[in-house]
Amino acid sequence: MEEMILKLKQEIIEVLNLEDVKPEDIDNDAPLFGEGLGLDSIDALELIVLMEKNYGIKLQDPAKGKEIFKSVNVMADYIQKNRTK
Amino acid sequence: MGKDRSVLITGCGIVCAIGLDKVQVLDSLLSGRSGIGPVRYLKTGHTEFPVGEVSMSDADMESALGIASGTVTTRTSLMGMMAVREALSQARLSREDLNGAAFVDGTTVGGMDKSEQYYLDFSAGNSRDAYIKAHDCGSCSEMIADRFGRFKYITSISTACSSAANAMQLAADMIRLGEADIVVAGGSECLTKFHLNGFNSLMILDRNQCRPFDAGRAGLNLGEGAAFLVLESRESAARRGVKPVALLSGYGNACDAFHQTASSPDGEGAYLAMTKALADAGLQPSDIDYINAHGTGTPNNDVSESHAMMRLFKESLPPVSSTKSLTGHTTSASGSIEAVICILALQNGFTPINYAFENPMEDGIVPNMKLRPDRPLRHVLCNAFGFGGNDSSMVLSYAGED
Amino acid sequence: MEDLKLKYVYIDRQHACVDGVMLEHESQGGAMLSELYRAHIGDWPKFFKMDTLSKVGFLASDLLLKAIGREKPGEEYTSDCAVVLFGTTASLCADRNYQETIQDADNYYPSPALFVYTLPNIVTGEIAIRNRFRGETSFYVVEKADAAQMAFHLACAFDDDVTAGVLAGWVDSRHNDDFQAFFTMVTRDDAKYTDRLAAAIQTIMDNSNI
Repeated sequence: MEEMILKLKQEIIEVLNLEDVKPEDIDNDAPLFGEGLGLDSIDALELIVLMEKNYGIKLQDPAKGKEIFKSVNVMADYIQKNRTK
Repeated sequence: MGKDRSVLITGCGIVCAIGLDKVQVLDSLLSGRSGIGPVRYLKTGHTEFPVGEVSMSDADMESALGIASGTVTTRTSLMGMMAVREALSQARLSREDLNGAAFVDGTTVGGMDKSEQYYLDFSAGNSRDAYIKAHDCGSCSEMIADRFGRFKYITSISTACSSAANAMQLAADMIRLGEADIVVAGGSECLTKFHLNGFNSLMILDRNQCRPFDAGRAGLNLGEGAAFLVLESRESAARRGVKPVALLSGYGNACDAFHQTASSPDGEGAYLAMTKALADAGLQPSDIDYINAHGTGTPNNDVSESHAMMRLFKESLPPVSSTKSLTGHTTSASGSIEAVICILALQNGFTPINYAFENPMEDGIVPNMKLRPDRPLRHVLCNAFGFGGNDSSMVLSYAGED
Repeated sequence: MEDLKLKYVYIDRQHACVDGVMLEHESQGGAMLSELYRAHIGDWPKFFKMDTLSKVGFLASDLLLKAIGREKPGEEYTSDCAVVLFGTTASLCADRNYQETIQDADNYYPSPALFVYTLPNIVTGEIAIRNRFRGETSFYVVEKADAAQMAFHLACAFDDDVTAGVLAGWVDSRHNDDFQAFFTMVTRDDAKYTDRLAAAIQTIMDNSNI
């Protein structure tokens, strides 16, 4: 899981162009949205694309992202349970 | 009140999912007939999204316009030509009359439909240059304009979904500043895979008929079409002996300055655009008898626009509807398409209904479902908001009996 | 330009110049934009998410506003500053980047973050968001720099009672490493000089090689 979380953080940093953020800057339990990383609705959509592209998870309802992107831990957990690749 | 700054509209033409001319569109509006349905003409794998297509193939339009097959055209330019032809005919403008006139076209997609068909050939070295050259917005505008005359000035405006509204505003600026007596202005936009995919990537497309201002709304349906209007100075219209079909009495544009694509929750940009339009027309909110809302049907737009309207109009909110529920969201062309719909409403004394509305949304306006208004329409407001926070609003006014 | 007393910013793939003074940098192209952002701005991480057109426009506008004495963007929204930009490439660079995400049916992941930049007016929106400008924002896509045309549109921006200044400029981006911008601020007092300003922009762009 540790490895998976680090990989996921690197993927998030890459697709969201978080240039000055390092994996260790992202708290596993901190909310991805709201303050902190300063992410917005387009970033949420990019994370949905990331889940499809890298893990074969297709989300049809963007509102569902709100639950999944609560934190890196929650997201990693969701991916573990639902990944198809 | 200062001097009358209103600009005359002496002709208009329209083609969209609910009709190929003003007569058909009026009939659809009066009978509340939606033009939204399964995709027929656009070649896309995304057949799960209903769209508002113009019910003619490119070949049908070429033949209706008397264009020889094999001529380089785009769907955007063909729809534009249909609408301009109707507008010029109503304004009684001949080829020669257009020599000193200007042409302002709102489009963002331009000739992308043909690029999609021929780009792979082109990049593989098979010459389809003519079509690739027709890709950009300016080429489409020129194709439309050149068919009708030798305009002294041709330009295209691409501000996404407020393009055609901004084209009309630039046209009116030109007339107010004395730069032109006659400006043919509006917009045209065909469906393409490029923006259907793009809107899908933003997850704002409804898989069912869109439901603007409804509690259950789940996004927009893309549409296509064109509408053009002839804007003219009083002196020119008097000289030519033509009467206006309506007046463009005020307009405003403001930047929401919130997000690239999302509207601010309080609709500040929309509020400012409407406020400016009213001030420009020298009118109070209570003077407005109908609002044709931007009303895309996305959760975000309809909340934001509702807040802006409720804040500006307070107790005097007139009937509001989004005719995108009938035409689909015609993106760049929506401003002029809805301006023509407003003119039809002014001329025929009705308030277009907000099709497919069932349940009021929380904290939003309740859209108009009544075709016959309680009072005659004198002034109506028409909103068009674009990505980039580019918000426009126009006041269109009744021009009197013929 | 000197006798107009207008401050200006010029950026291309190898140079960045504020009011005649070259800014130092080690990299070129897209990397130079990031380097300049880090050295001179640094408080707007959204910068890294922008397409190249927006990055260049954002950088040019921010350097200019700093040069004319603004320490930080205001907290208050204002409608008195319009943004009127011109260019030939519009969003072509972003269009290409987005097209690549839908080109291949076997690797088909349309990117929302790229799609939102496939419009030329997003750059004006980014500048407005940064500076809380709620006035006119326009981006005119032109075949080439035409002084008369630019002067007309700049003059039009003052055809109201609220516009006190116009952030006026030229911005192009053909590729992620190939771009050009010229930005200046025209006040209502300078509005009588729009003809000359537009002529200056035309001269600069005619002599450029983008």
